[in-house]
Amino acid sequence: MQNLTLLRCLAIALVALQSSAVDALEIQVLDNDKQPLANAAVWLEGEGVAHLAPENGFKMEQKDKSFVPHILMVPTGAQVSFPNLDSILHHVYSFSPAKPFELKLYRDDPKKVLFDKAGIVELGCNIHDWMLGYIVVVDSPLFAVTDSNGYVTLDLDLGQAGALQLHVWHERFENLEQVEQHQLSGLSNTSSITYQLKQTLIAPLQDFSDGFDDY
Amino acid sequence: MASMITKLSPMLALFAIGQTNAVEVSGHGQLQATWQHDDNRKAWYQPGWGVTRFGQAESDLALSRGVVDWRVDFDSAWSLHGVMQYVPDPDDKLGFTELYLQYRTLPKNGRRLIVRTGGFYPSFSIENPDIGWSSPYHYQYSAINAWIGEEVRVFGSEVAVEQPSTRRSRGKGYKGVAGIFKGNDPAGTLLAWRGFTVHDRQSVFNESIPFAAVESLNTPQLQHQAQYVEPFTEIDGRFGYYFGYHHDFSTRSAVNVYWYDNNGDPSKINYRTGQYAWDTKFISAAWRYKLSTQTQLLFQGMAGNTAMGTNRGVDNDFNSWFLLLTHKRNAWRFSVRAEQFKVIDKDDWQFDPNQSHGHGFTITAKYQLHSNWIVGAEWLGLTTTVANREAFNGKPKQTDSVWRLSAEYRFSL
Repeated sequence: MQNLTLLRCLAIALVALQSSAVDALEIQVLDNDKQPLANAAVWLEGEGVAHLAPENGFKMEQKDKSFVPHILMVPTGAQVSFPNLDSILHHVYSFSPAKPFELKLYRDDPKKVLFDKAGIVELGCNIHDWMLGYIVVVDSPLFAVTDSNGYVTLDLDLGQAGALQLHVWHERFENLEQVEQHQLSGLSNTSSITYQLKQTLIAPLQDFSDGFDDY
Repeated sequence: MASMITKLSPMLALFAIGQTNAVEVSGHGQLQATWQHDDNRKAWYQPGWGVTRFGQAESDLALSRGVVDWRVDFDSAWSLHGVMQYVPDPDDKLGFTELYLQYRTLPKNGRRLIVRTGGFYPSFSIENPDIGWSSPYHYQYSAINAWIGEEVRVFGSEVAVEQPSTRRSRGKGYKGVAGIFKGNDPAGTLLAWRGFTVHDRQSVFNESIPFAAVESLNTPQLQHQAQYVEPFTEIDGRFGYYFGYHHDFSTRSAVNVYWYDNNGDPSKINYRTGQYAWDTKFISAAWRYKLSTQTQLLFQGMAGNTAMGTNRGVDNDFNSWFLLLTHKRNAWRFSVRAEQFKVIDKDDWQFDPNQSHGHGFTITAKYQLHSNWIVGAEWLGLTTTVANREAFNGKPKQTDSVWRLSAEYRFSL
């Protein structure tokens, strides 16, 4: 029993040691009305950002006639699977320059798709025109989508980071290709920054779809 | 024509399979049981003078509809679609209500091309987007769509160009449609001798639908007309056509307008089957407006003319409209519909009165018990005044009150 308690203490100490060794940068994204912006894609590029071989567990599911997640971020070179969790067929396509492709009608899990070029990939379904999803392919392992308060936390060693560029994208950009970029400086003194968008967002869309819209 | 389509379908399927080797079969089915209490009059197809489905001599509880709405996808654009239906009334009818081959492209540059060939409904009916052209709102369709379901079907080809309404287009979209077809020459027969009514019995290909023993069919002028209609048959050898336009203004508001003309030659008759080619044309306009994410308003109106005989001896104008309000809350859907309909006799054959008019009010509650089960209750109040009932029982005006309980099981293929 005593041994167990000792082991537990050791484990907690190890975890604490590890977390203090990894620095993190917290970024909050605001829209141009200074309101926190959820679902913004945020990534960092620059010196000291190692580009590791991408893992391959990325998934863009189709569930209840929606893409889940609505926005998926992946590093270049990632393979993404498109499992269909609905009982109906889907027919996913993209005409985006970063990755035009088509997954013909399928159930279950079709073959994975390689995203080897950075850019915004807009997904549609040829059977359900109302379905919309995005894959944001970035040249960086440091990326995340903002939470409901507009926050992301990116793990990086601020001491070793060189000149970094912050990139922000949102689906309500008038021009989907117009990613905002911002040079970060003085990062060694802080672990938290706020970024306010330069462009005005198009109005949010209220979803009235009900599955009987085809007539 | 309909039988030709049925025979051609395996060839169409083989042709499409030849395009590629990946084939996916999918679809939905529905088994619906109904208990109905009504005024117990023999329905038109029994044949009788009643204007509600089932009518006399049917058991109170019946499997009111069984349907499988399927598609076979051969490749990105080619697919074969079919709807197989069973109804018990009047004598266990099984058949296809739709069967067509479709070519539908991806919306490259925001637009797609859709071509359909076979037997199918043009997309007039904003009320009938559910499995096998049924209504998610009420059990019994409006007079307009009950008539389309029993007498209107095209056997031909339709070409459409669509800019789909998507989230990226903020709900804006349009579709232009043009079609040519054969068959469907006798459409209008039931409007002349029975009038509009409210029901949910769709006709299958090759079906023959009886109607009441109208006295005027015993006259020399109408002696060749059978006491039934074969609505989808070809009589005059001419092509019919239609045009349609759909416009989605936003995520909330959408309209469609169609012009249909079967281009029938009213002087032509098939003596063997007792069917005339009716010259039938109409305009249909429909509007859907979403008051909120839960509440919608649907409107459809139709006006047209139908005539048969060398000198248009039977010549009738017809019109109808309905307004439908539906509200969905969790597993419940509540719908109410008010409607009017009218057939105006324009010819001078006094011995054959065709005028009729009426109105209906329908109220329905449906409850989704489970992902596969929906139960519901409906009341229909229907008042019809049909001139040719005078010769039958001296009472042109009739009111019907129909109570209906339905349970349906839905499944996926």
